[in-house]
Amino acid sequence: MTQDSENWVLLQELFHLAEVTPDADRERVLAEKCPDEKLRRRALKIFTASSLEEPLKPQPQDSAVGTRIGPYTLISHLGTGGIGAVYLVQRMAGGALQRSALKVLAPHSAGPGFVERFHREQHILASLDHPNITRMLDAGLSDRGQPYLVMEYVDGQHLDTYCNTHKLGIPERLQLFLRVCDAVAYAHRSLIVHLDLKPPNILVTADGTVKLLDFGTSKLIQADSRLTTTVMATPAYASPEQLRNEAVTTSCDIYALGAILFELLAGTRPGNKSSVAAMIERAIKELEPERLTAAVTAEAAEQRGVSESRLRQMLRGDLATIVQKCLRPRAKDRYPSIDPLAQDIQRYLKGRPVLARPQTTLYRVGKFVRRNRGAVATAVIVVVALLATVAYAGWRQEQAVREGQRALRMQNFMYRLFKLANSNYTGKSSATVPEFLELGVKMLPQYIKNPSDLREAQMGLAESMYENGDLDSAQKVLTETIVSSRAANDIPAEAESEAFAGNIAYLKGQVEAGATLTAHALELSRKSGVPPSVRAWSAGFYAWNRENNGYRSDENVRLLQYAAKECRDNNLSDRETADVFYLLGQDLELRGRLDEAEQVFNQTLDVYRKDPAALCDQSEVYGDLAYTKEMRGDVQGALPIYQRAYDGYKQCTGPDSSGALTEQEFQAGALMKLGRAKEALPMMETAIPIWRKLDGGSPDFAEPLYFLSKAYVQTGHFEEAEKGAKEMMAVQEGKVASTDRRFGATHMIWAEALAGQHKYAEALPHAQMAEKLLTNSISPGAKLMSAEAHQVLVDVQAKVQSF
Amino acid sequence: MADAGEITVLLRDWRAGDPAAIEHLFELVYPQLRVIAGALFRGERPENLLQPTSVVNELFLKLIRQRSLRFEDREHFYSLSARLMRRVLVDHARSEGRQKRDGGIPVPLHPDLAWVDARPAEMMDLDRVLEELEQLDERKCRMVELRFFLGFTAEETAELLNTSKATVDRELRFVRGWLYDRLHEE
Repeated sequence: MTQDSENWVLLQELFHLAEVTPDADRERVLAEKCPDEKLRRRALKIFTASSLEEPLKPQPQDSAVGTRIGPYTLISHLGTGGIGAVYLVQRMAGGALQRSALKVLAPHSAGPGFVERFHREQHILASLDHPNITRMLDAGLSDRGQPYLVMEYVDGQHLDTYCNTHKLGIPERLQLFLRVCDAVAYAHRSLIVHLDLKPPNILVTADGTVKLLDFGTSKLIQADSRLTTTVMATPAYASPEQLRNEAVTTSCDIYALGAILFELLAGTRPGNKSSVAAMIERAIKELEPERLTAAVTAEAAEQRGVSESRLRQMLRGDLATIVQKCLRPRAKDRYPSIDPLAQDIQRYLKGRPVLARPQTTLYRVGKFVRRNRGAVATAVIVVVALLATVAYAGWRQEQAVREGQRALRMQNFMYRLFKLANSNYTGKSSATVPEFLELGVKMLPQYIKNPSDLREAQMGLAESMYENGDLDSAQKVLTETIVSSRAANDIPAEAESEAFAGNIAYLKGQVEAGATLTAHALELSRKSGVPPSVRAWSAGFYAWNRENNGYRSDENVRLLQYAAKECRDNNLSDRETADVFYLLGQDLELRGRLDEAEQVFNQTLDVYRKDPAALCDQSEVYGDLAYTKEMRGDVQGALPIYQRAYDGYKQCTGPDSSGALTEQEFQAGALMKLGRAKEALPMMETAIPIWRKLDGGSPDFAEPLYFLSKAYVQTGHFEEAEKGAKEMMAVQEGKVASTDRRFGATHMIWAEALAGQHKYAEALPHAQMAEKLLTNSISPGAKLMSAEAHQVLVDVQAKVQSF
Repeated sequence: MADAGEITVLLRDWRAGDPAAIEHLFELVYPQLRVIAGALFRGERPENLLQPTSVVNELFLKLIRQRSLRFEDREHFYSLSARLMRRVLVDHARSEGRQKRDGGIPVPLHPDLAWVDARPAEMMDLDRVLEELEQLDERKCRMVELRFFLGFTAEETAELLNTSKATVDRELRFVRGWLYDRLHEE
C-alpha cells in the first residue's frame, strides 16, 4: 500500500504502457521505462487482473424448476422481469394437463392484501376479453408466502425480436404496432392501464398474432407505500411522470407506446445511451426526447431491409412527428388517447397526411366569431383531460401515496360515469359530449371528496364545456367554483374560475359582469402561489376583452404582452403560449401596429408549426398574417398566404368548413382589391350556398354576403348586388344592434348597388347611414371601410346634385 | 427528511470547499435513505428482487423532489448521491452479516451497476478497498462511484467530471485491475 501511494503516478503510467505494448515486448519496454523491478511486477499484476473476466454465477431461478407453487409444477424458467421471475408451469385440471405461465412476484411489489385484491379485481380482469390480450387465470400465495400470478401461456417471440428476425419493413412493423394499439385502447376503455408496456411484454406467435402480457397486473400490484409506481416500470419505456413518481394515467401507456414505436422504427430505445439517473434528470427537467432519425443505426437499417440513409428518410417527417407526439414530456402535449395515434399511423400507411387534432384549442376567442366548432371532443378526450387535471392537482400536492388513491378515485368516477352515460340515464344509447360533461359535474362530488381536487376537476369540466361551446353550463359550474374557492381561500382556483367566467360573460354580451370578473381575476392572479398559466390567462382575458368592448388602452396591450412573456418565460405548453401570442397578435393587428402584429403572428406560427395537430390553428394564423399584409398594402403578397390558410383548413376541416370558407372569402376580397373581381365572383357564388347551409340563419352570414355583393358591384351586376344587400339586412335585423358597424357595411353595399342602377336618391340615405356607422375606429380594416364609405357618400351626393 | 434549504446551503458550502459540509449532508439525508433501502431489501436476497433501477430511482426521487436544488449543482449533487448509494449498500451488506466466502472473490463491478450480484461479504470488501483508493486518489474513487454505484455511462461520467470518455475508460481499466489485485492480496 505504502508503495502504491509513493509511486501512484508512475504505477499508472506503467499500467497504460503495458496496455499498449504487445505481449512479447512488454517486459522489455517496461524495464526501459522503470528500473524498479518490484514496481514493474506490481504494474503487470494489476494489468493481468484488469483483464480477468468475472466468473458467471449460476442462475438462481434454475433451482426452482421441478418444484411446485400451489397446484402448479414449474417446468422451465421463461424469464425475469421487473417484478419477478416467470415460469412455464403445468397442472392437472379436469383430467387434462394444462400449461400456463406463472409469475412469482417479489414481496415488495405485491404488497399486503394481494390475494384479496386479485379476487376483488377479478371481474374487471375477466372483462378484459380481447384476442390480443393474454388472460389472467389465477393468483395465490405459495407455501413460502410468495405471491404469484398465473396467465395464459403464449409461445411467441418478443415484439422487437420478431420484427428483426423476420426482417420486417416499416409498414409491416406499423401494422403490428396497430394491433398493439388496438389492444391497449380496448383496455383503456375498460379503464385499465398497463403502466409497463415494452417489447418483452408484447409477444408475437408463429402465425403473427400479437399478444399483450401483464395487463391488469398494474391493478393488482400495490407497492409498499414507501416505494411507488416507479419501481414497477422499466425506465426506458416509462413516462417522465412515472419516473417522477407522479400520478399515473392512460397517458403513461401512450408514452410507452411511443417508446416502443421509436424502437421498432429506429432500432434503439429512446435514451438508449443514457443511464437511469440521466433519464430521471431528463424527466425532471421535462426535456424533449432525442430525435428519431438520430437514433438510426446501420444494423437497424439492415434489419428493416433498407439502406441507412433510406431509413432515415422514411422516418423523417410524419413518423418522427407521431413518435415525438407520444413522447412529449408533458402528458397534456401527447396524443389525448390511443385512437388519434392509431388513426395517424393508418393515415401514414395510406399515404395521407397526418392530421390528428387532439383537442380544439382551449380559450380561443377568435376575431371572427364564426370559428370552427366542428371538431367536437370525444368522450375519451374528456376522460383524459379529467385524469390529467387530477394528475396536475396531485403534482401540486407532491404526495405520491395520496396521488395513487386519487387516481383510483378518479378512475372509479370515470368508470361510473361511462356506465351511466351509456345506460338509460340519459334515455339514449350513447350520450353526447355536452350531456356527458353535465353528467360529470353532477357526479363529481360523490367521487372526489377533497374540495381542492373537486374544484380542479370542476374547472376542467367547465373549460371543456366552454371549449365545446356550451357557455351556459360552463358559466354555471364556474360560478360554483368561484364560490367554493373563495370560501376556502383557494386563490389560484378563484382566479382561474373568474378569468374564464369573465370571458364567458363577455362572450354572452354581459359586459359589466365580464369586466368585474376579469378585473378581479387579474388582481388575484398577481398574488403569490398563482401558477403562471393562470396569470397569463387572467391578464389575457382581461385585456383582450377590454380592448374589444370599448375600453381601449395601452395598458391592455402591455398586459397582453405580459401574458405572452409569462408563457414564454415559464415554458408553458406550446399550445397555451401560441394561443396567448395569437391574442396579442390580433390586438396589435386591430390597433394597426401591423409590423409588430406580423412579428407576433410569425412567432405564433413557429410554435404551431411544431405541432402537427395544430394545423387548423396554424391556418387561422396564416389567415391573420395574410390580412396584416393586405392591410399594409401588400395585397399581392397576401394572396399566396390566404391560399395557404385555405389549403390548411381544407385539410384539417374540409373544403366546406367555415374555416376554409372564411379564408376563401378574404382571398376573394384581396382579389377584388387587385381589380380581379371576375375571379372573385365565381369563388363567392360557389361558397354562398355552402355558407347558407352552414350558418344561414346567423347574422354572421352577412359577411360572405357582403363579399358576394361587392363582387357583383365590381362586375356590374347591380341588381344581384341589391338582392345581396337586402339579404344582409334580413339576417342582421333584430340580431345586431342598430348602431353596429356591421350595418354600415350593409348600407354601403346597398348604396353602391342602387347607385349602379342610377337610383341615386334611393342610394343617398344608405350612403349616409354607412358613413355614419363606419366612422370612429382605429383598426386598419375599419379605417379602409370608413374611407370607402366616405367616398361612396361623396359620389352619391355628387350624382344627386347633378340631377 | 431534511429541509430543502438546508441541503442547498450545505451543498454550496461543500462546493466552496468546506469539508465538514459533506458530513452534515450525510447526517441529514442518510437516515431517510436507510428506511427506503430497508423497504427495498426487506426479507429477500437482493438478486432475487432488487432491480438495479429501483434503488437509484427511489434515491433520486427523494433527493430531488424534496429540495429546490438547482441543476447547476449537478456535479456535487450526483457525487453526493453516488456516495450515499455506496453507503446504503454497504450498510445493508453489513446488516446481512458476513457470510463465509466460497472460493474466489470477484470484483463486483458490473458494467451496469456495482452491486447487482454482489454478496454482502463482497460488498464490504469492495467498500474497504475503495476507502484505500479514496486515500490514494479521490477522483478515481468518485469515478467508480458514479460509474458503478449510480450507473452513469462512461460518457456521462466524463461529462460530469469534465473530462473525456476515453480518459474515464482508461482510468477505470486501471482501477479495476488495482481493485481486483487489492481484493486478492489478503
